[in-house]
Amino acid sequence: MTLFDVVFSGNDAAYGLAEGAIDAAIEKYGADKAVSFPDTAYSLPCYYAVTGTKVNTLGDLKNALGVVKTLMTREQRLNDAFMSGVATALCAEFLEVLKYVDNPTPYEAPCAGHLPDAAIRELGVPLVTGDIPGVAVILGAAPTAEEGVELVKSYQAQGILVTLVGGIIDQCVEMGYKTGANVRVIPLGKDVTAVVHAVSVAVRAALIFGNIQAGDAAGLMKYTMERVPAFVNAFAPLDPVIVAAGAGAIALGFPVITNEETFRVPKSLIVQKDISKFNATSLEARDIKIKVTKIDIPVAFASAFEGEIIRRG
Amino acid sequence: MGTFKLTTVEEFEAATNRLLETGKKVGADGWQYRVANQTPHCKFGEQGICCRICAMGPCRITPKAPRGICGCDAHGIVARNYLKFTAGGAATHSDHGREICHTLYCTSPDGNYKVKDPEKLIRIAKEWGVETEGKDIYDLAHEMAVLGMGEYGKVFGTQNFLKRAPQHTQEIWEREEIAPRAIDREVSCSLHMAHMGCSSEPKALIRQSLRAGLSDGWGGSMAGTEFSDVLFGTPKPIDTEANLGVMVAENVNIVVHGHDPSLSEMICEYADDPEMIAYAKEMGAKGITVSGVCCTSNEVAMRRGIPMAGNFLQQENVVLTGACEAIVVDVQCIFPALGPLSKCFHTKFITTSPIAQMPDSDFIRFSAENAGENAKLIVKTAIENFKNRKPELVYIPDMKQKATVGYSVEAIVKTLDGVTNSQVDVTGTTKPLIECITSGVIRGAVAMVGCNNPKVRPDTAHIELMKKLIANDIIIVASGCSAQAAARAGLMSKEAKDLCGAGLKRVCELADIPPVLHMGSCVDISRMMILVATLAKDSGLNISQLPVVGCAPEWMSEKAVSIGNYVVATGIDTFLGVDPYVSGSDQVAELLTSGIRDWVEASYTVEKDIEKLGDRMIERIEEKRAAIGI
Ligand code: SF4
Ligand code: SF4
Repeated sequence: MTLFDVVFSGNDAAYGLAEGAIDAAIEKYGADKAVSFPDTAYSLPCYYAVTGTKVNTLGDLKNALGVVKTLMTREQRLNDAFMSGVATALCAEFLEVLKYVDNPTPYEAPCAGHLPDAAIRELGVPLVTGDIPGVAVILGAAPTAEEGVELVKSYQAQGILVTLVGGIIDQCVEMGYKTGANVRVIPLGKDVTAVVHAVSVAVRAALIFGNIQAGDAAGLMKYTMERVPAFVNAFAPLDPVIVAAGAGAIALGFPVITNEETFRVPKSLIVQKDISKFNATSLEARDIKIKVTKIDIPVAFASAFEGEIIRRG
Repeated sequence: MGTFKLTTVEEFEAATNRLLETGKKVGADGWQYRVANQTPHCKFGEQGICCRICAMGPCRITPKAPRGICGCDAHGIVARNYLKFTAGGAATHSDHGREICHTLYCTSPDGNYKVKDPEKLIRIAKEWGVETEGKDIYDLAHEMAVLGMGEYGKVFGTQNFLKRAPQHTQEIWEREEIAPRAIDREVSCSLHMAHMGCSSEPKALIRQSLRAGLSDGWGGSMAGTEFSDVLFGTPKPIDTEANLGVMVAENVNIVVHGHDPSLSEMICEYADDPEMIAYAKEMGAKGITVSGVCCTSNEVAMRRGIPMAGNFLQQENVVLTGACEAIVVDVQCIFPALGPLSKCFHTKFITTSPIAQMPDSDFIRFSAENAGENAKLIVKTAIENFKNRKPELVYIPDMKQKATVGYSVEAIVKTLDGVTNSQVDVTGTTKPLIECITSGVIRGAVAMVGCNNPKVRPDTAHIELMKKLIANDIIIVASGCSAQAAARAGLMSKEAKDLCGAGLKRVCELADIPPVLHMGSCVDISRMMILVATLAKDSGLNISQLPVVGCAPEWMSEKAVSIGNYVVATGIDTFLGVDPYVSGSDQVAELLTSGIRDWVEASYTVEKDIEKLGDRMIERIEEKRAAIGI
């Protein structure tokens, strides 16, 4: 299978899931049932940013799925793979928003799920000033919990905002590693679709800080590529849905670094077998230079710890 | 989005028409009129079924007369003509290469010619098994020059550069008995075979065509390129401009035209000389502008960023601007029409080579030994001619585009190093390009080469094909007049990335390159051979498996046929937009378009419908991808 075929099949799978879930929800609640993420002015941020259309009801969501389908062209060209990647992210967003129907808190600690606009506004300034030099999206489970946590820790020590999706969350829990928005290590969710909450951050950054007009998909991608220093670390095994989501990330300008043997694309899809080198590989791929001078002290030192609450004992 | 816009062929033509008006005023003709006079062409010649290689002829083949007087049939006649055509091209490139070797022989630390890229010289010397340790670089240069010239008449063995090809390719050449021996031998052997009463068997003649072609691509042309780099520096990315608008009305305009950089490099040196610039000012000009036409232009653009005034069918336009003080030529693709044309203006038409002497020209014999004084004399002659300009005839079309050129194989590899990741990749290879291709981000590559030919609306085929290919994520490497068409249109501007598909666009952005890479002059197609050889070695695939094809949509010269033969014989499918005079023999046509595939794993496609030619290239590239499962 060509790389693009894998993307297409992952996209088809995500689309199938979204379609099934939306139909089932309409069956259950009716097409007029309201859908939304909490605490955002951007409706379904990814879908809104790409199309300029807000989704209010399940009926709207069904229509939105029709729009997504138009992105799913199947030529063997990167443009088609990119658009299918975007379509996959949108399907993920649909699946995620359905979790919020009749349930204001589908996510429980440590997972955050959808992040409110306020959190993005708060992160925006340090992102612009470079105090947060990058955003890491870690996806899947590392070969061992130790390696996974080491990686998270290494980013945290550099002031990089870390978002976690899937098995790595349990690995942090297992190792008793402290996570949360205050230490800038944010577990999003355990389903792969939760990755869209990281995308949503980048997309809303473009709308809020980049003055990108909703519906200007090309401008959006240019902004994220040039201005949002995010990257993805995806652990093996990669299933087609993850690869398709990865294509979406690459479309936004975010390189994907993986330890799975797969196709390679310079600066975009990089195979790094050695987890201990994920950090250096990722930073170089995204051209992130760390401003913080390394201070030789026994505990990790970075702005990520500014919000940490020191508990007694 | 920016304000970037390609210059259209319509705009090219409008400028040309305006210049032809000036021509009319002074009684000059142009190729446009001569084409009309020659149309329609003789059908026998067009089909390749006219033979005049002995004095029993000329013979021509018709249904009533299926054989010449000697009994040769259409297939024999067509194949012989094809072989002679090839031999002409191979001789031309090869003599150019020999001149470069001779120039290398004339280098000295304080002479006109120096060794500018000693590392490259040492690298080639090592390849050739020459001891370099502790040797003075000029002694080495002289030794290599003699060896290089020896390649033309070596008694035993085959071309040294063949070793650069992947093992598999070398084995094909051996197996098919097309590994070229001495360069001159292949040319004269071709002429021998094509003599009356020698070969009339199409397979034997086409086989020799491939061998003669290979003696050019992996012999003469490669020597020309490699030793030109040693002498004048290996090209690196450099910014320049293209189209007639690069000529400057207030300056003395010297146009270099032809092929051998030994001349054009020297002219550029002296045009830069403060003494000469002061002299130009004394004569009332603001300065000196050197620009180029055809391949010598490509050479100095690649190495010095000298602007490119135009390609083959623009050569008369340069004079028609009325602002050309001197058009200085050496060899190949120079219209003899320039002599009479120049006489209509103040322009001095300066021929310099005993190989290319023309009526109505000022002959200033140029050789490596007297290069400095003669280059100076030429520049001075041009300067002194400034005052003879007729201001009422001066019109320089205000058209030019930015171009980034200088993509030698070395420069391409260096550019690719820029997208590697030091944590996982090695540098100094073509692997990043292979990764872009195998992942599908880039679908493949097309080598666009060759001339202009009035049989095709000039430059349209080059430009339209390139636009179509880059929109389909196919990267272009270009040389010769094809490269200049691209540069004039704006396709070598980095901004042209916006005309690409998403994949190639992303690559252009990340690697900071234009979508059409200028690899140099016609002899520099040897660079393309080295590039595919490297891609094959780095990927572990055979050359014929790579999703790479060659294309000469507007070709016209014998050199182009020689090039086609070595490209095909290297395993690269080649697409032609002009028929090589073989339609008179179904056997020869069949051989070239399919039969030779059994020998060398590639063949020709001839398609005069340019739109279809593009479709077929894309199809072939996709077929090749499917065959290796990418
Ligand atoms: S070689 Fe044969 S075909 Fe050619 S001109 Fe002589 S007689 Fe005629
Ligand atoms: S491309 Fe053709 S016309 Fe142009 S310089 Fe080369 S051989 Fe001559």
